[in-house]
Amino acid sequence: MKMETDNEREKFSKVEPSVLQWSQWQLLDSILPTGGFAHSLGLESSIQSHLISSHEDLQTFTIHLLHNTGSLLLPYVYAAATSPDTATWRRLDKALDATLTNEVARKASIAQGSALMRVAAAVFADTEPCIKAMRDSCLGGSRMNFHHAPVFGLVCGLLGMDSATAQRGYMFITMRDVISAATRLNLVGPLGAAVMQHRIALLAEEIVIKWMDRSVEDACQVAPLLDTVQGCHAYLFSRLFCS
Amino acid sequence: MEQTGTVVVEKVGDKSTVTRCYSKYPLKFIVPKKLGNSKTDAVWIYTLTYGGGIVSGDSISCDFTIGDGCTTVLTTQASTKVYKSLGSKCSVQVLEARVGNNALLAVIPDPVTCFSTARYTQKQVFRMLSDASLIVVDWVTSGRHESGEKWDFDLYKSTNHIFLEDNEPLLLDTVLLEKGSMPSIVERMQEYQVVAMVIFWGPKMKHIQNQVQEEVRRMMTEQLQFYSPASAQRMKRSSTCCTNKPNFIVSSSVFGPQGKGVVVRIVATTTESVYTFLQHQLAGLEPLLGLSPYH
Repeated sequence: MKMETDNEREKFSKVEPSVLQWSQWQLLDSILPTGGFAHSLGLESSIQSHLISSHEDLQTFTIHLLHNTGSLLLPYVYAAATSPDTATWRRLDKALDATLTNEVARKASIAQGSALMRVAAAVFADTEPCIKAMRDSCLGGSRMNFHHAPVFGLVCGLLGMDSATAQRGYMFITMRDVISAATRLNLVGPLGAAVMQHRIALLAEEIVIKWMDRSVEDACQVAPLLDTVQGCHAYLFSRLFCS
Repeated sequence: MEQTGTVVVEKVGDKSTVTRCYSKYPLKFIVPKKLGNSKTDAVWIYTLTYGGGIVSGDSISCDFTIGDGCTTVLTTQASTKVYKSLGSKCSVQVLEARVGNNALLAVIPDPVTCFSTARYTQKQVFRMLSDASLIVVDWVTSGRHESGEKWDFDLYKSTNHIFLEDNEPLLLDTVLLEKGSMPSIVERMQEYQVVAMVIFWGPKMKHIQNQVQEEVRRMMTEQLQFYSPASAQRMKRSSTCCTNKPNFIVSSSVFGPQGKGVVVRIVATTTESVYTFLQHQLAGLEPLLGLSPYH
């Protein structure tokens, strides 16, 4: 498996950067059917717990969420992107499963990671058949959970993306999903959301710089309030989102 | 790191007994001879630090071995105070425990309170043999919040790792609250002054963890049921600041293979409300421990 991956990677280091961009954009586009729209990343629960009632609150929430994504999940994206092989992937998946003790977050991670792996295997079947091969080898009784962050890093790595872009990309899709959830929860309109997204982007870049390239052993959570409230998602009387 | 303290608990004549107990400055263990219901087979160990708290630069490392079938409780006499940091020095506390077959370890301390500018990290590693049971309460307050010190420390980091046999990771959790190039801790914690986590694992915890899950679900469902988008709109239009934020938020999750473990997370505006919650939820441990925790 590893030799195949190495050969594939060799092939793609020869891919034109401009060609790689098309795959990159497709991976970050919300139109990719990975089910990200079903998850609010704790936003819905925070709103119903009266912790968010204004645009300012939403922006603050998003920034705290991005910091937590950086501190907890970027190490997994980084490790998977720099070593996109099955053995590393298994190790990361197992560690993240023990780290995401918040059941709501854990299930969301598994749902999104599974979907992304399935979609990536199909979408890139011609150019990166190793994605499908790796996925097939881990299906069935192999205890692979397909957690999102390692899968994202793995796919980026197999596509030939550098690890910094992969980590930045993961932060981007996190921000994208929470802002999208905010519009569907009527906290902000589509145009206001787009304006907010650009405003936060500068901060998001600083957050990526702060938390990138760290080891999985250093993964930690920095927003316990968010984590506790997200864990209440299952108690909500009426909900739009899965998490 | 050189060991500051070592304790071994083994069955002697069918009773959980401390067979080794060593500690050196700044750590001290107190093992009362008689506690609560003397028919219950449980050893209670109180950890104390000289000076009433952890001083800047202190480095404390403890090792516990809980033998097969034994029950041991680790607790404190009062909140662990972490004093201000001198010269940016960090205090460290490390605990490593091995829990044997069919044994139970209950780690039920008072919360950690970090004073202004304090820097503190703690790490607790539990290695569980088959059928071992564990309950861990790990909590921190915002500081001397009655005196206005709210999340004013520089660094608090708490790591809890639980491993099954063959080094299989079961739970890997680290909470980091640090002053620095990110939103202040106060901003992240809002009005909440306490963060707490309770971990349940093992056959002896099955009954109580199911009860706690149900109780948490009941509490929070009741608290959340009154939300409606209409009431939220009314709040937004109102000029007064939103006072509907709950004082106590708790959620529980299963974790581990077949969801056999339970972890409960709490944020609260008062330390007392968390004591009350723990008293109430852990009362069911009295038959196992001989005393009801947090009474």
